[in-house]
Amino acid sequence: MRAVDIIGVGITKFGKYIEKSLVELGGRVAIEAIKDAGIKPSQINAGFFANMQAGSLFSDFTIGQNVFWQAGINRVPVFNVENACTSGSSAFNLAWMGVASGAYDMAMVLGAEKLNVPNLGLMQSGTTELDTLEGMVVPVSFAMRANLHMATYGTTKEQLAMVAVKNRRHAGLNPLAQFRDPITVEDVLNAPMIADPLTRLSCCPNADGAAAVVLCASELSRRYTSRPVRVAASVLVTGSYQNPCNLAQWDADKRASSMAYEKAGLGPEDLDVVECHDAFTISEILHYEGIGLCPEGEGGRFVESGATSLGGKIPVNLSGGLLSKGHPIGATAVAQIIEGVRQLRGEAGSLQVEGAKVFLAECMGADKAGDVKTCTVNILIN
Amino acid sequence: MNSELKPVMEGIFDAGASPRLIGAICSKCNQKFFPKPMVCPHCLGEVEDVKLSPEGKLYTYAVLRTKAPYGLPQPYAVGWVDLEDDGLRIFSLLDPEKISELDFGKQVTLRVGAIGVDNNGQPCLRYYFTTKKKGCD
Repeated sequence: MRAVDIIGVGITKFGKYIEKSLVELGGRVAIEAIKDAGIKPSQINAGFFANMQAGSLFSDFTIGQNVFWQAGINRVPVFNVENACTSGSSAFNLAWMGVASGAYDMAMVLGAEKLNVPNLGLMQSGTTELDTLEGMVVPVSFAMRANLHMATYGTTKEQLAMVAVKNRRHAGLNPLAQFRDPITVEDVLNAPMIADPLTRLSCCPNADGAAAVVLCASELSRRYTSRPVRVAASVLVTGSYQNPCNLAQWDADKRASSMAYEKAGLGPEDLDVVECHDAFTISEILHYEGIGLCPEGEGGRFVESGATSLGGKIPVNLSGGLLSKGHPIGATAVAQIIEGVRQLRGEAGSLQVEGAKVFLAECMGADKAGDVKTCTVNILIN
Repeated sequence: MNSELKPVMEGIFDAGASPRLIGAICSKCNQKFFPKPMVCPHCLGEVEDVKLSPEGKLYTYAVLRTKAPYGLPQPYAVGWVDLEDDGLRIFSLLDPEKISELDFGKQVTLRVGAIGVDNNGQPCLRYYFTTKKKGCD
């Protein structure tokens, strides 16, 4: 396998784009990524497009080809990828594999989503699943984890709320985040209850948005940029679906991050910056433990210590996370990787972690049997 | 109980006064499952129907306060229930009338009743667990 670099990125602000089509949003970031990489569209050997909901919301299919052609990419293989919240990082994993294998010298990964539609309702794991029919919707699934974590480890409602407060404080410094006004622990606790202990401010909002990256074989990347960012590991795992399931810990996080650390020859102590899938406040706490930032059960106390804030030991979700940016599903995990590229290029402005060298992005998607269907860990280095 | 109502999914329970969930057991490795898989995913052995224990213990639970899907009551509760006799932890709707009684480790009993609608918007039967009263059952 060859080493692979990221040489170009493009991203929209996450928010409401009622008047813009998915193809326009995607086309815009494809063009931006090509310009950022300093390449011509004809140099892209393959395109991987990530989206989850356009099929059900807009009866729209095989959208990647439409999006890539907006940026002049045609004739080459184009794949449309759906893998719930990890659609973007799954597309990234495929593109990385394609370039690493030597099949392509250059590939584009692009995630785009439009969720601002009337009556979207709560996300669930598919209407043919028995769990869905018995009332499993995403917020209640995470509330069950939160309740168990609180009962098992003594995590408090206030500690859960601190995740949202911290990420919003970071978002205040990120012009691309959707919600940027500071909030307090009281604001989070007093917001309308969704599924106890998760209030509206404990759950990530919907958003529209798009994000793209250009991957290039490392042996060629210096022709195009003086600041390539290396993909040190790209891992995707699915759930083990073991019964009985453990809802207080995420085995998939542990398996995916262990594999990624091993491939990169690094450990959690080497990380400078992390983006993780904070769809709910409890998720971020579980991810701290899953990827080894703190011991099992300590996630609540870890956020309270300030370790994961800007200036702390290991800043997590400096972008503001999904909790402040919103969650345009297909774009989410690509945007996480772009945060890493900005940090490792030294372009993160007031959110810059001085001398950042190692970045980890974790993403997770979809419920099955008390486990997750998909979990990705990508490690970037400079 | 309205006997004309269909179950929310075919073949997952026997309704009636003493309802039972229908799971499966692998004829080779004796692992139990709910719902029934095509074959045992661990050894690909044949699986046979087996009635699961109607008694369980609540592992964790949560209450959804916003607009409910499938015409379920607002609020409604769900949880993971340990069927200790079967070695299975299963997801289930919980008795909407007993939300205030929910607690970790609570003993619960299976019920089947007319709650909410199915994927076609038709009223249907769902299984749920209800809390046991002390000294009864």
